[in-house]
Amino acid sequence: MSANKVLAGSLKFLTLGEVMQILGGNASSGILRIMSRYANEPGVIYFKDGNPVNAACSGRSGLDAVYSLFGWTDGEFEFHQEQVDVEPVINKSRMGIILEGLKMVDDGQIEKLGPDAIGTSRMAATKGEGVVPLMKGPLVDYMYIADEEDFFDGESIVEEGKHGSWIWVVLEGVVEIVKNTDKGPLPIVRVGDGGFIGSLSSFLIQGHMRTATVVAVGNVQLGVLDSQRLAQEFAALSAEFRTFLISIDRRLRQLNQRVVDYYTGAADPASMINNRVPVIKQGADEESLYQVAGGDAVVVRHHEKGMVPLVSLPRGEYFGSVPFMELGQEPEYASVLASKDLKVKKIDAGKFKNEYDNLSTTFKNMVDHMAAAISVTTGVVCAYHSKESR
Amino acid sequence: MAIFNLKKREIECKIVYYGPGRCGKTTNLEFIFKSYKKQVRGEMVSINTEGDRTLFFDFLPMGLGKIRGCDVRVQLYTVPGQVKYSSTRKLVLRGVDGVVFVADSLEVRREKNMLSLKDLQSNLKEYGKSIFKVPLVMQYNKRDLAEQGIPLMPLEQMERDLNRQLKVPSFPASAVKGAGVGVTLKECLKLTLKALQKEFKWAQ
Repeated sequence: MSANKVLAGSLKFLTLGEVMQILGGNASSGILRIMSRYANEPGVIYFKDGNPVNAACSGRSGLDAVYSLFGWTDGEFEFHQEQVDVEPVINKSRMGIILEGLKMVDDGQIEKLGPDAIGTSRMAATKGEGVVPLMKGPLVDYMYIADEEDFFDGESIVEEGKHGSWIWVVLEGVVEIVKNTDKGPLPIVRVGDGGFIGSLSSFLIQGHMRTATVVAVGNVQLGVLDSQRLAQEFAALSAEFRTFLISIDRRLRQLNQRVVDYYTGAADPASMINNRVPVIKQGADEESLYQVAGGDAVVVRHHEKGMVPLVSLPRGEYFGSVPFMELGQEPEYASVLASKDLKVKKIDAGKFKNEYDNLSTTFKNMVDHMAAAISVTTGVVCAYHSKESR
Repeated sequence: MAIFNLKKREIECKIVYYGPGRCGKTTNLEFIFKSYKKQVRGEMVSINTEGDRTLFFDFLPMGLGKIRGCDVRVQLYTVPGQVKYSSTRKLVLRGVDGVVFVADSLEVRREKNMLSLKDLQSNLKEYGKSIFKVPLVMQYNKRDLAEQGIPLMPLEQMERDLNRQLKVPSFPASAVKGAGVGVTLKECLKLTLKALQKEFKWAQ
């Protein structure tokens, strides 16, 4: 933070138009930086004697960049007073830019970056669809909560495709997990008290990409988890157990994608089942856990409307019975079909169980929540499958 | 809320032209811009908003003199009437010092006028201002259309419809021809400056 920061605040209180008027009235020169948690990089506007002369924002520059920044309704700004030596490319009058920018926002020509951006489309999507299942989590363990945050109805907490590795636990209220599809946003499940936002895979790489959008339904209070502590705990686990957990996490993501596929009609269930033979029958008495070492397998739910392929398991993925997790899939509630060249490795699930038992409460809750989410989402996949086959 | 710009030794205040769509707000401002060129500072900003245009320019009223050594600079705005232009309306109405309500004299616009006035009241309320306290002037526009045989409301009726409770100064006008435009603005400037003086006790 440089020492010449002379003005800073929240765009919720002072809009960009107002900030620009203040800087204009003072004939200030310097750099206005605008930060939003809905954007990866800050936007920048350069001022000379109170007039914007150039700007940069998500790959855009000049006037285009200034206009797109009017869509950032939720964020922070800070102005650094300094001599700017950028090439002046904007010569439109300050008020002209402000009024044009606001008009473009109101006309919908500028993408709104903020809480109400997805809120309205969510309402549209939820109408007419079946009820989205609500899952509640276990009792919240306050030990790992680093901070609390409030979100208002319709505000989006994370957005699909954006980067971020924060993990929240829902302290009070309900959030909706939404996937973007060609046919508009599709709500998949709702998560209530004790549930988690963010997945284990955010421990893996920095700049983890969000795979779904999360929107507050009514006002919500969230606890920000100490993700560094959780990441350290994750890193201390055995390599096998980590691979296993990530494999389960991938199942959840595949299930979400499957819901989208059935919803948009892009699903091709037959191709997933063809040429595969059953290795575990739904309801069978299977007690072992396997890892795919060659060929591939598919988890399939037998449903009154036929077979519903749920997830495909290429090399490295696990299937079978997991003694400490209720996935709602094989062996009790789904079959496993496999290609003829399937090779498996038997895994000592007891070792995993020991590691699971030694997890911290919050981590254990996260794992349980992931398992519950798999179970609930499996139901959603089946519901959309039978809708489609109707 | 007027802004004191100490750097430029200026007092900057804001006057907004409000009224139903196509009532002649922009015609008013265009006439001022053309006819009082010497007092206009900078260019006129014109934004094409749906069904109407949004105008803005700076105005340095002559003859008001300086207040405590500061020039008075007035920002003149029109507000887009459509509901969806809420961001623009918010920026324009925040800190407004004086309002000119332009009413349409056409008989068929009677209801539109009343709705727009109500809308002005609720918008001002959002920014903590009362329509009864803000310096306000009424203008009954398009009086010239009577010559073409278009049915207009009599001034008494408009006065009853819009100004019974408010009891603010009102003027008939024909913005296309420029009649009544200057006197409306002058009255609004007078009221605005008076209110500012009262608020800051400059008159002492």
